Amino acid sequence: MKQRSAPPSPTKAQAPLWALLAALIGGMCGTGLRLAIDTLLPHTAAEFPFSTLIVNVVGAFTLALIVARLWSRAPEWLKAGLGAGLLGSFTTFSAVMVSLVESTTSGLWMMAAVYLVLSLVLGFTAAAIGLRVGKVSTPIDWVDE
Amino acid sequence: MNPALVLVTLAAGGVATMLRYLLSRALSRVSRAESFPWAVLLVNALGSALGGVALGLAQSQGMSDELQLIILTGVCGGLTTFSTFSVETIQLMTHARWGVALLNIGSNLVVGFGACLAGFLICVG
Repeated sequence: MKQRSAPPSPTKAQAPLWALLAALIGGMCGTGLRLAIDTLLPHTAAEFPFSTLIVNVVGAFTLALIVARLWSRAPEWLKAGLGAGLLGSFTTFSAVMVSLVESTTSGLWMMAAVYLVLSLVLGFTAAAIGLRVGKVSTPIDWVDE
Repeated sequence: MNPALVLVTLAAGGVATMLRYLLSRALSRVSRAESFPWAVLLVNALGSALGGVALGLAQSQGMSDELQLIILTGVCGGLTTFSTFSVETIQLMTHARWGVALLNIGSNLVVGFGACLAGFLICVG
């Protein structure tokens, strides 16, 4: 697609090609990891979706950790690949909503409520801990023991 | 699982992720930084609606398991994100922007669930 007028600062305004490629590769890896965990912990519509809960909590913690630890110095392609790409696609919001629609339309209200509350409470707590840990941890000095 | 099916699912997830990244870049230009996380709300609403459509079609038209995997795990999973939603909400809270944080949680849940339910009800027939 042709850009009609060039933005004043192309490096900031446009998504760099390397960053797009990093998002694509990270997105494929994150989707693959999520698919692997879904395959290892399968669930029917009437069963509690543990796989999605695990993926979302682990993903929220890891993203928070690297945002706090790396983001101030990370180049755009690394943010795109790890943040938007790997962890963005590893976690999923739609699967939570699909499970909630499945369980509520089947009358499984209690399971829907427990799943929603656990997803939010554990996801937010994981993100808060990740941000905290990422801020306080100091770089590991590999040279001096 | 068929390796070709896995590859197509991963590719769908990768392309949807790229779309989410492009949308968040485009929206961060038009909305001021830290005002409201519009990009995640938009992709989560779109992905949830598509997820509801796939769920409805699976029940009414007997959509194949393969196509369900590509759309639900690949496209919807790649397009939507829970990690960025969580981290952005906590960042709003740590900046004491409680109202915006609560609005972000509420809007993602109401719009996401509403879009998913609407897609499902329209397509389940």
